[in-house]
Amino acid sequence: MRDVAGLRKVHTVSRKTERLVNLTIALLATKRYLTKSEIFRTVDGYEGTPESKERMFERDKDDLRNLGIVIEVGSFDPLFEDESGYRIKPENYQFQLGELDSKDIALLSLAAEAWRGAALDSSALSALVKLHAIGIETDAESLPDLAPAIISKDVNLAVAISAITSRTVISFTYVSEALHEESRVLEPYAVASRYGHWYLFGMDLDRKDLRSFRLDRIQGALATKGRSGNYEIPQNFSVESHLLETRSQQIAELYLRSGRALALRTRSTDIFDKKAPPGWERVSIEFRDQERMAEEILWYGEDAVVLKPASLRTSVIESLHSGVVRYG
Amino acid sequence: MVEKQSTPLEKAARLLDLVPYISTHQGVALSELAAEFGVSESELLSDLNTLWMCGLPGYTPLELIDLEFESGFVSIRNAEILQKVRLLTKDELVILLIGLDLLIRSIDPKRVDLLHAITGLQAKIKSIIGDIATIAPIVNSSYRATILNAIASRKNLQISYQSLIRDELTDREVTPIELMVDHGYEVLQAYCHSVGAYRTFRLDSIAEISISGFQQPLTVSPQDDQAFQMQINISKRIRSTLERFRIAVSSDAASRSESFTAFSFSQDWLIRSAMSTLAAAEVLSPISSRLELARKCRKTLDLYESALFGNIS
Repeated sequence: MRDVAGLRKVHTVSRKTERLVNLTIALLATKRYLTKSEIFRTVDGYEGTPESKERMFERDKDDLRNLGIVIEVGSFDPLFEDESGYRIKPENYQFQLGELDSKDIALLSLAAEAWRGAALDSSALSALVKLHAIGIETDAESLPDLAPAIISKDVNLAVAISAITSRTVISFTYVSEALHEESRVLEPYAVASRYGHWYLFGMDLDRKDLRSFRLDRIQGALATKGRSGNYEIPQNFSVESHLLETRSQQIAELYLRSGRALALRTRSTDIFDKKAPPGWERVSIEFRDQERMAEEILWYGEDAVVLKPASLRTSVIESLHSGVVRYG
Repeated sequence: MVEKQSTPLEKAARLLDLVPYISTHQGVALSELAAEFGVSESELLSDLNTLWMCGLPGYTPLELIDLEFESGFVSIRNAEILQKVRLLTKDELVILLIGLDLLIRSIDPKRVDLLHAITGLQAKIKSIIGDIATIAPIVNSSYRATILNAIASRKNLQISYQSLIRDELTDREVTPIELMVDHGYEVLQAYCHSVGAYRTFRLDSIAEISISGFQQPLTVSPQDDQAFQMQINISKRIRSTLERFRIAVSSDAASRSESFTAFSFSQDWLIRSAMSTLAAAEVLSPISSRLELARKCRKTLDLYESALFGNIS
């Protein structure tokens, strides 16, 4: 038999948990909408004055929504303005990726494993539990040996992702190139990782323009502003195509000493050996930010000489002149 | 050890997920279940005791969820309502989408079956949450797997390494020690047999990798990764320049001063970084570095002024 006295103790500690689970079960099991008074009468755990029950219920609904559980509100008879009721439709509660085979489960599990110990460790764990609960043996042998890993432990990455999925405005302090603190208010749209850095994209509400921010340049913690669902991400927004649009716009031509400037060489799009002096190759490389490109060329010192565009060449030469003056 | 207490909401989420999991794994051991859910056994027992009090309105034994776990193995009955696996939250879908991106860029293009499966899954996820997250990884996941295997089986690695500092591609035999994150980059700490010393290798600079022979015990101890330093003054592009010298960026750095100290295990790295940032930073000391920079600037400038490269063609 159940040890009633022992359970009492657990009971008080887990009262809220228990009420949430019982509410979920009741709303899932019902074929029709349950009114608030029916819920208060039948679901275990709603106690106290009518006002306190009311408050409890409102909080519980918010909590379940935060777990991704959609509670429908409706009324019994659309012709009459009677008391509204609540239910959870099973199709809105259950796993939504449809039929998966063992290969799919293995791939998704590996994808979640990448986040172990990283910024979204807890989401990774809960996703894995759900995938495993489907009860299909994962077919790990059919996969090549891969160890995917996200190394970012930046809490702001997790906050940004939650803000994007819940459509919550965020504010933060951004460090400018001159190391000034700038306050930003953003409707976040997307996150992307490129060249080993995480970027956050969104509508900058002060500048009224789509902007991107490198996550590690954000000073302190992201703060959420206002309620969730306060804006919409434009239907046609796609982070992939946004990244493509803002990619390299300029092409530089350089001479690289044979066998040197390896990393620059791997980025080159064209190599014309014939046009170069012996011991050198002439290459072209796409770039976006001129100052950054100049720094990259200077890294290789006497193993890289830039020809075009003229502005890039001039800035490299100017830097070298200033170096000769300063250090010489 | 003090256990982190779950919030009532976290606990509720776990209970909702425990039901379908136990339903498809009837008779699962308590210890295994605790590991799967990332909780201690005592926390799991508390979960199961709470779950036992849940059920349909009425809450007689007929309506309550029936659990059996005294034997150390867990089984469940009378829980049909919660038996369906819960939907993935949007945050979970985002991390899966990103994780799949990592896989797709590390899988051999010949595995069309896998690539096809991944793009199918990504399309499904994007149809729910939109095209809102992407990653172009800089490290191949199969290389990381090879390194982890070598460390676990105490084997050496043969790597082809493209050093940014020395600007050369070299083949080396290394004894892997551990994977770490250094200034935001994944690095392998290893003993390099080719140079007879400990070295740090950036994973994104490894061009090829394979497991070679068994390890010999190492007798040398690791070197100091702050062996060299440089005093610099930064006049513009402060943030980018600090980032290049791997000096922590913060806005109070500006109020302190314009002078900073950069550290590295490699003198060459410091010199190249100073060359890169000629326009923004001045090296104050050591004097030897200033002389080296003067020499490099002069030599490079000579090229620009020579007949071979002087005219833009």
